Amino acid sequence: MTHQFDKSRFSRNDDSAVENAIRRGATRRDLLRMLAAGGVVAATAGMFAGSARNAVAQTPKRGGALRVALNSTSTADTLDPVRASAQGDYMRMSTFYNKLTVLDNSFTPQMELAESFDTTDAKVWTIKLKTGVTFHNGKTMDSADVVYSLSRHVDPKLTSRANALAKAMTKIEAVDKSTVRIELDQPNADLPAILGTYHFVIIPDGTTEFTKAVGTGPYITEVFEPGIRTVGKRNPNYFKSDAAFVDSIEMFGIPDENARLNALLSGDIHIGASMDARSAPLVKANPNLRLMVAPGGSYTNLNIRMDMEPGSKKDFIDGVRALINRDAINRAVLRGFGEPHNDQPIQRASRYFNAEVVPPAFDPERAKHHFEKAGLLGVGIPLVCSEAAKASPDMAMVLQQDAAKIGVTIDVQRMPADGYWSNQWIKAPFHFGNINARPTADILFSLLYKSDAAWNESRYVNPKFDQMLLEARGSLDEAQRKQIYGEMQAMVAKDAATIIPAYIASADAMSTKVGGLNPHPLGMLQGYNIADTVWLDA
Amino acid sequence: MNKRILEMIGGRLAVAILSLFLVSLAVFFITELLPGDTAQELLGQAVTTEAASQLRETLGLDRPAILRYFEWIFGLLTGDLGYSHVSDRPVASLVAERLPNSLTLAAVTMAITIPLALSLGIFAAIWKGSIFDRAISSVAIMLVSFPEFMIATLLVMWLSVYLQWLPALSFIPTTADLHTVVLAYIMPVSVLVFGSCSQMIRLSRAAIADAMVTPYVEMAMLKGASRSRMVLGHALPNSVAPIVNSVALSMSGLLGGVIIVETVFNYPGLAKLMVDGVSTRDMPLIQTCSMIFCGFYLVLITAADIIAILSNPRLR
Amino acid sequence: MTVSTAPRRKIRFQIRPIAAVCLLVVLFWIVVALFAPLLVHYPAGDMVSYDYFGPMSKEYWLGTDYLGRDIYSRLIVGTRYTIGIAFVGLILAALIGITLGLLAAAFGGVFDTILSRAIDTFVGIPNLLLALVIVAGGGSSIPILIGAITVIFFPGCYRFTRSMAVNVNALDFISAARARGEGHFYIMIHEILPNIAGPIMADLGLRFVHIILLLSGLSFLGLGVQPPNADWGALVRENMIGISYGSPAVVVPSLALASLALAINLLIDNLPQRVRDQLE
Repeated sequence: MTHQFDKSRFSRNDDSAVENAIRRGATRRDLLRMLAAGGVVAATAGMFAGSARNAVAQTPKRGGALRVALNSTSTADTLDPVRASAQGDYMRMSTFYNKLTVLDNSFTPQMELAESFDTTDAKVWTIKLKTGVTFHNGKTMDSADVVYSLSRHVDPKLTSRANALAKAMTKIEAVDKSTVRIELDQPNADLPAILGTYHFVIIPDGTTEFTKAVGTGPYITEVFEPGIRTVGKRNPNYFKSDAAFVDSIEMFGIPDENARLNALLSGDIHIGASMDARSAPLVKANPNLRLMVAPGGSYTNLNIRMDMEPGSKKDFIDGVRALINRDAINRAVLRGFGEPHNDQPIQRASRYFNAEVVPPAFDPERAKHHFEKAGLLGVGIPLVCSEAAKASPDMAMVLQQDAAKIGVTIDVQRMPADGYWSNQWIKAPFHFGNINARPTADILFSLLYKSDAAWNESRYVNPKFDQMLLEARGSLDEAQRKQIYGEMQAMVAKDAATIIPAYIASADAMSTKVGGLNPHPLGMLQGYNIADTVWLDA
Repeated sequence: MNKRILEMIGGRLAVAILSLFLVSLAVFFITELLPGDTAQELLGQAVTTEAASQLRETLGLDRPAILRYFEWIFGLLTGDLGYSHVSDRPVASLVAERLPNSLTLAAVTMAITIPLALSLGIFAAIWKGSIFDRAISSVAIMLVSFPEFMIATLLVMWLSVYLQWLPALSFIPTTADLHTVVLAYIMPVSVLVFGSCSQMIRLSRAAIADAMVTPYVEMAMLKGASRSRMVLGHALPNSVAPIVNSVALSMSGLLGGVIIVETVFNYPGLAKLMVDGVSTRDMPLIQTCSMIFCGFYLVLITAADIIAILSNPRLR
Repeated sequence: MTVSTAPRRKIRFQIRPIAAVCLLVVLFWIVVALFAPLLVHYPAGDMVSYDYFGPMSKEYWLGTDYLGRDIYSRLIVGTRYTIGIAFVGLILAALIGITLGLLAAAFGGVFDTILSRAIDTFVGIPNLLLALVIVAGGGSSIPILIGAITVIFFPGCYRFTRSMAVNVNALDFISAARARGEGHFYIMIHEILPNIAGPIMADLGLRFVHIILLLSGLSFLGLGVQPPNADWGALVRENMIGISYGSPAVVVPSLALASLALAINLLIDNLPQRVRDQLE
C-alpha cells in the first residue's frame, strides 16, 4: 500500500485496524498473518474473507429494507429466464424464483424445488418434485410448470441464452403431478448441476408476461423498472422456513465504481457489488464496512497456439511456463484479488480440484535455457493483449519485463477491446483470453479443451482426453469421476498451452450490518444468489 | 392582437412542425446506419447466424426500413410509441418511468436558475464595472471552466462522504418521505444550477448592456436619468427577446443534456435511457427519446420566438 | 448584437496583465502538446512502479496512477490528446460553419432559409447526448471523436458567422462593392470576412473551451480516448478513487483541465473592448 494512504484521513494505525479486525471476527491465525505481512494496511484483501465466514455463525435477524447496488444495469434488464444474461438478471432470478437444485460452495448440486434426481444410466432421469410449494399467485407448483419452464430453453424460437446447455434434453415430460422425466441425447451425470445454473428457474405453466415475476422464490416483485430498479418484498408463504430474512430487497445498478464506493461510504446502500482492488483499502479502513472476497469469478489466461509458430516448438511453451511469475502477477497486477492457479480451468473450490497438479516454479534460468534451445533469444515475439481480457495488459507487462532480463524480447501488442473476441482471441499465435467461472468440470472441459471445441484456445488435440471426458460425463460414480477429472487436469496443465496464472477474485463491499453472506466460487454476491440467506442487523 | 402577429405566430408553428418531421426522418435513417443490430447485441456471446435471423424475424427487423419508418410515424401520430426490442416492453412505459424524473429535475433547476440568474445579470448590468459586477462575472467564468463531473464529484466527496449531510445518490427509495426527497435533490440541482446560471448571467448582462448603448438611452442619461431606472424601465423590456432565447436554450439542454448528473447521482432520467438505447441499438427507444428532446427544444424555441414577437413594441 | 463598424479599422491591442498571464498559460499547454514526445520520462502506457497512487518523487515527478504508471508522462501525452483532438475538431467545424455562414449571408433568400432550418435540426439534440450517440454508435476512436466534435460544433459556428455577416452585409461599403460589380465570393472573402474575423476568433476560443469540457465529459463516461491512452478527462476518471488517497493522480489532470479552460475564458473576457462588443 502506498505511503500517501497512510497520511490520508482514512488511515488507521495498525493497532486500531487489528482491533477492528478482531471485532469483525478475524481469527488468531488471520491476525498473525497480518502482523507477519507488516501491518494491516499491507495485508491483502483475501484475509478478510474470514470475517464473512464468521458472520454466518451469528443468529440471523429478521426485518429491514436492504439496498444493493450492482455494477451494471440497462433497459435489457429482464425477469424472463430465457432472456437473462446480465449479472443483475441472475440476481433477479434467484430473488423471485427457485430452481430444481442450487449449487453449493463446491459446485455440488443441492435439492431445491426437486426432492430427488434418479437415474440408472445418466441418460433418462426421473425427478421427484417437492409438494406443497406455491407460486406468488397462489397456484401450487407441479410437474407441468417444470416441463413448461425447461422446454422454453429448448425452443429455438425463444433464443434462450441457455440453449446450448438445454438442447441436450431431447424429451421433457410429466409422469404425474409431482414427477418429471427428462431424456438426454447422451448420458450426462451433471444434469442436476446444470439445472442448478442461473437460467433454469421454474415459472408457472403458460407464463408469457414478464413485467412481474411470478415464481416460488423468497421475494415477490413489487417494482420492476428495467435500467432503474427492482424491489422485492418478502414472500410470506415461502416454502423454506429459515430463509428470506429482510422485509424488502431493492436492487439497482451504479456502473461507476467511484459512485458505488461513495454511496457505500455515505451509507446510502448496504452492499456494493464487485469492487476494485484499489477501493479495498478504503473499505477496510472504514469500521462500518467490510469486504467479502470470493476467490472464483473468472481467470485470464495466456494462450499459445500449438499449431502455429512459435508455439509449435515445445521449448517455447516450456520457456513461457517457467517465465511467468505467478507471484508477481498476483501481487502487483491483481493486488491480492486473485489466487495463483495451476494452468487448468477447474477452481480450487470445486470438489474435483486436483491439488497434486503444481505449476512450474518461476525460474528465469531454466526459461532462458528453453528459449535458447528454441532459438528464440533476441527475436521479437509478438504477444497480443487487450483491456477486454481483464488485467491482461498488466500481466503482459510483467512477463515482458522478466523476459527482457534473460534476453528474450516480447513485443506486447495492445489491441482495442472492441472486436478483440472475434479478431484476436484464439486467432493470434500468442495471446490472452478471459474465461468466466463455470459450474461443472464437464462444461469447462468440453467448452475449452475437447479436440473439436470451438473455443479450444491452444488447439489442444488429444483423443484420449475426449474419451475420458465422455466417460466422466456419463459416469454416476463420484469417486471415478473425481479420479478421471483429476487426471484430465494434470493432462491439460502439462500438455495444453493455456497458462492460467491466477483465478481472479471478485469482492463485494458491504455494511457490517449485513449478515448471512459467504464467498461463492461462482463469483460476486454469493454467486448472484443472496435472497435466501441475507439479513440485516438494524 | 392584430392579424400580422397571428400570421407570424402561425408561421413559427408551421416551421416547428416541419422541423420535427425532418428530425424524425433524420433520426430514423441515421440510427439505421449504426453498425451492428439489436439481434447481435441481444445475443452477445451466444450469437449464431440462425439465432440472429430468428430473432430479427421475431422483432420484424427483416422488413424494409422505409416501411418501418411509416409504421413508426403512423404509430407516433396515433400515440403508439411501439415496443422496445431489448426489454420487450412498450416504449411508452419505459419513458413514463423516467420522464417525470427528468421533468422534475429540469423544473426545479429552472425555478431556481431563472430568478437567480436574471436578477444577478440585471444587477451586474446596473452596476456595470462595480466590484459586484466583477465578482459575479469572475464566479460565472470559474464555474463554466470546471467540468461538471468534477464539481459533482467534489460535492459528493465533501457533503456525502466526508460530512455525511446529504445522500450520495439521488436515487430515492420507493418509500421516501418529503425530507429525504428534498435532501436527495440538493446536490444534482446545485450542479445544474451552477452550469446554467453562469451562461444565463453572462447573456442577460450582455443583452442589457447592448440595449443600453442606444442613442435614446444615452440621451436620457445625459438628461440625468438614473442608470438603474434606465435598465429596468428601458433596456430590460428591449432585451426580452435575447434573454428569453437564452433561457429557452438552456432549458432545452436540461432534459437530455444532464447525462453526467444522472450518472454521478445515479438519477434515473431520460438521457441515460437514450444512451442505453444506443448501446443496445434499440431503435424504437432511440427514436422516441430523440423525438422527445427535439420536440421539447422546438416547443421552447418557438415559445421564445412568440414571446419575442409579442414583446416587440414595433409590432404591438 | 449590433455591429457598427467601418471597414478595416486597425485594432489596437492593449494587453491587460491578466490577459498576458492567461496567454502564457495557453501557450504553455500548446508547447507541451507540440513537444510531448521530448518531454515524457516513460512510455505513457507502461507500469513503472508497483506502488499505485504513489506520491510525488524524484523518479515520478507527479506520482503514479492507479496502475503504477507515471502521471507526469501520462499528463504530457494527455495534453496532446486533449488539445489535438479539440483543435482538429474545432478547425473542421469552423471551416464548415464559417463557409456555410458566409454563403448564407452573401446569397440570402431561399438558400439561407433552407440551410438555416436544416442546420437548426441538429441543435435540437443536446450536445453531449449527440456526441454519445455518435461515439456509442461508431465506436470510440480518434477520427470518430473528431467527427463528433465537428458535427456538434459546426452549427454554432454557422449561426454565429451568419448573424455577424448578415449585419455587415447590410452596411454601405458592401453595397458599394456590389455596385462596383464584385462577385459574391469576392465580397465574402475580401469584404465581409476581414470585418468579422476578430469576433469569430474570440467565438472560436469559447467554443474550444466547450469542446475541451465536452471531451472530458465523454471521457468521464468512458467513451472518450480509450485506454491505455488517455486525455485529461480520462486521466481524472480512471484515478477518481485516488481522491480518497489524496493522490496527485486525480488532482493534477483536473488542474490542467481547469487551468486551460479558465485561461481561455479569461483571455477572451479581457480582449480589447471593440472585439468584445461585437462578441456580445
